[in-house]
Amino acid sequence: MLLDVRDLHVEFRTRDGITHAVNGVDYAVDAGETLAVLGESGSGKSVTAQAVMGILDTPPGRITAGRILFRGQDLLTLKEQERRRIRGAGMAMIFQDALSALNPVLSVGDQLGEMFVVHRGMSRKDARARAVELMDRVRIPAAAQRVRDYPHQFSGGMRQRIMIAMALSLEPALIIADEPTTALDVTVQAQVMDLLAELQREYRMGLILITHDLGVVADVADRIVVMYAGKIVESAPVHDLYKAPAHPYTRGLLDSVPRLDRKGRELYAIRGIPPNLTRIPPGCSFHPRCPMAQDVCRTDEPPLYAVSDGRGSACHFWRECLHGPDH
Amino acid sequence: MAPTTEPILEVGGLVKHYPLTRGILFKKQIGAVKAVDGVDFTLGRGETLGLVGESGCGKSTVAKLLCSLERPTAGSIRFKGEDITGLSGRALKAVRRNIQMVFQDPYTSLNPRMTVGDIVGEPYEIHPEAAPKGDRRRRVQELLDVVGLDPEYVNRYPHQFSGGQRQRIGIARGLALRPEVIVADEPVSALDVSVQAQVINLLDRLQSEFDLSYVFIAHDLSVVRHISDRVGVMYLGRIVEIGRDAEIYDHPTHPYTQALLSAVPVPDPEGRAHRERIILTGDVPSPVDIPSGCRFRTRCWKAQPRCAREVPLLAVPAAFRATPGPAAHPSACHFAEEAVPITPAPPREHGVNGDGPR
Amino acid sequence: MPEQPHQPEGAIAGTGMGGAMDLGASEAVTLERAPGGPPGTGPAGRPRSLWSDAWRDLRRNPVFLLSALVILFLVFISLWPSAIASGSPLTCDLAKSQDGPGPGAPFGYDGQGCNVYTRTVYGARASVTVGLCATLGVALLGSVLGGLAGYFGGTWDSLLSRLTDIFFAIPVVLGGLVLLSVVTSNTVWPVVGFMVLLGWPQISRIARGAVITAKQNDYVQAARALGASDSRILLRHIAPNAVAPVIVVATIALGTYIALEATLSYLGVGLKPPSVSWGIDISAASPYIRNAPHALLWPAGALALTVLAFIMLGDAVRDALDPKLR
Repeated sequence: MLLDVRDLHVEFRTRDGITHAVNGVDYAVDAGETLAVLGESGSGKSVTAQAVMGILDTPPGRITAGRILFRGQDLLTLKEQERRRIRGAGMAMIFQDALSALNPVLSVGDQLGEMFVVHRGMSRKDARARAVELMDRVRIPAAAQRVRDYPHQFSGGMRQRIMIAMALSLEPALIIADEPTTALDVTVQAQVMDLLAELQREYRMGLILITHDLGVVADVADRIVVMYAGKIVESAPVHDLYKAPAHPYTRGLLDSVPRLDRKGRELYAIRGIPPNLTRIPPGCSFHPRCPMAQDVCRTDEPPLYAVSDGRGSACHFWRECLHGPDH
Repeated sequence: MAPTTEPILEVGGLVKHYPLTRGILFKKQIGAVKAVDGVDFTLGRGETLGLVGESGCGKSTVAKLLCSLERPTAGSIRFKGEDITGLSGRALKAVRRNIQMVFQDPYTSLNPRMTVGDIVGEPYEIHPEAAPKGDRRRRVQELLDVVGLDPEYVNRYPHQFSGGQRQRIGIARGLALRPEVIVADEPVSALDVSVQAQVINLLDRLQSEFDLSYVFIAHDLSVVRHISDRVGVMYLGRIVEIGRDAEIYDHPTHPYTQALLSAVPVPDPEGRAHRERIILTGDVPSPVDIPSGCRFRTRCWKAQPRCAREVPLLAVPAAFRATPGPAAHPSACHFAEEAVPITPAPPREHGVNGDGPR
Repeated sequence: MPEQPHQPEGAIAGTGMGGAMDLGASEAVTLERAPGGPPGTGPAGRPRSLWSDAWRDLRRNPVFLLSALVILFLVFISLWPSAIASGSPLTCDLAKSQDGPGPGAPFGYDGQGCNVYTRTVYGARASVTVGLCATLGVALLGSVLGGLAGYFGGTWDSLLSRLTDIFFAIPVVLGGLVLLSVVTSNTVWPVVGFMVLLGWPQISRIARGAVITAKQNDYVQAARALGASDSRILLRHIAPNAVAPVIVVATIALGTYIALEATLSYLGVGLKPPSVSWGIDISAASPYIRNAPHALLWPAGALALTVLAFIMLGDAVRDALDPKLR
């Protein structure tokens, strides 16, 4: 297994008390696999990724429990210096907002080349040549001329390509993409997702795709984990999940998205709002919004029941949900 | 493409150019951002017209023009036959009662220093004739109830609510003066998926309850299809194709619409390997320097020399004029042709992927 | 569809600007689903606003408490100096010139034989008056001019911006020497007027920026779409959201105005005897610094403490109103 996250807990100390952002997350990614982490804002999907990358702001954040095994080695026991070596060469991250993730006062060529100078000890000239090569790889037109340009001189889609080039530069085994296309227009989003998927195949990288977009997930993911209030509520191969969700939250999400190919007048809407992470409801954290909730859901926290091989659901009534009762 | 009901809003030749100037004290115009560059459409009573397009296509500027938040450079906006673009003072204030706006960002559209009661009640303070003073508090509470919030929350501040609830507060404020037209600019794009559906359903319900006409602006084609009766597709300041939702979504004839639709990810992994997709190359040109002729030609795989010379008009293409059918709707393309509907995707050996110049 | 881009996961939201706008969904309360609990309240159980949050922060901040205590004491002695100092600051006895501490004169006597303790206590009034009035004038003039320029923009805005540039180019002390040397009045008002004249551009810039930021919020557009008048938009929507940075800068500036008053008085163009001011006393004592350092140290110490107190207060207020700056 390339990356294996086990029982990860992350909390934040805030003025209003302790925010429980991640409460026991387990997931794993293999080389060449795409794992989609699906969740709404506040689900803990990005915080988990930041913990894996080791870029969590501490304080206010704190990893209180868990292990993050990268090629069998627990990253949380490593010194910062050793982790830094893994960042970039072992795993890399692509952010949602490429404009703020790139340094505005350095040319893109310098930023791309920096990786080779720092990690590989290349000369400036060789690094520049590699930068052009990389920009070409991510299909930036006229790469040799544009290598001296600054981030703001590129369009949103092109900037995201530069971010991808940067993440790829040291050929990492794992890429974490946090909402990589959310800020992009739909036609550009398609270009960027295509590119990412193609590069992943080519380099046989593991890819963790963090998103809230059920459409993007359906297009590229092999496996999906659905997060809610800092926990994984469902984990399944992509086809199984879309065919028959085994958790009422997943089912609600799927039914509440308007679709191009289905026009109905009324959308299903999950009632209520996501929980306050300083005061997560007892029992199943989804119970106040769940149409299937019973008394047991208010008191007993559901474990991740094994639904079938490679599939889990944190719902006491996953059988009923799987067989699809109406809302 | 005319609406099926009597028109309530008629927009003709709408243009908004923002001058680009240079100089510190004495400014010299050196160009213009052509945000909206000739837009025509009609909104029927009780109808929802969706406007879709990517960022920079001018859809939000259209919203501002409709609500008289910006003055158009040229063109007319007729509300029930009366041109409102030249109005000012009292007459403008009267028209504003009838056209209200719902904003995208529920975090900046509510004044953080005002209570919910003050926010929703402000329309009555500005238009005292709309409700007698003693009646206002009751009306505000009624409005909160209508949008699905507890009327007891009048004394709370916006930050105490979630994004979806704030959007409801914004909608209640928009409804206070009982407008006939609501212009909604990306009203759900800042919301989480599970909350988005609640707000879409609310807008749907309010439309029939209050006999509202909507101009619904969004970049999300699925949301627009869900809520709209008719849809206009915008590109670089113009509408390139307009028609009933089924005409646009199932029988698009403009290449841009076709590309846009094929790029929308479908939340269903079945058949994803076979889904045909038109990948557009390049980026949208700058609205300062719009290509000659057809403005889409720089990214279009069908472009011919003619496209650089002649501006295609938004009209039913000649090829479809003779045969009434779903493809016979206005489309601004010299080479309009009907593509195979993208969904459900028929399995194919090879898609049109390679057609676009990479 | 996209998540709030400025909200990297609800968890972090709580660390942002406490009361106001950027509390995310996680912070949001459970209005729709918890009929039992106290809905709509923050964890503190009451409605919160920027001001109440700021006040909560300030009350726990020892820097604020200490500086506020010093300032309250200063205000008290400038209103009622006779409460802690007997005698008049103008009653001097040359026979006691440069004497050390004695009964009724814990700080000793200066070169003219005046009671340093009494003069230091009475000197607070000039400092506090000049500081408060200058700040008030600067804040009013600056925020009105800057606010209007920021709101309406256009030619007036460009003119005002150039005008502030010109004022920024005037060296304050030199300007004071030139302008105030022609004034014969021996009240605080010429000094205050001079400070307002040179001080308003600073506030005007801050106010202009704050108004432009507030103006871009959608709630201003919403009010305009409802037909609200400019005055309504300015007073109800923009002013309350733009006032915080003005307050912060004005509080910090207050300390510098007090220091400036002393500087000008020391140079002989601010207050002049028989007015009582720390600047005058420092000036008068400086020739005798070897023989009677106490006559210089006490007024100078009082001045330093006062300026420090106001600057620390300003810092504390800034931290409370804008935690992001920390």
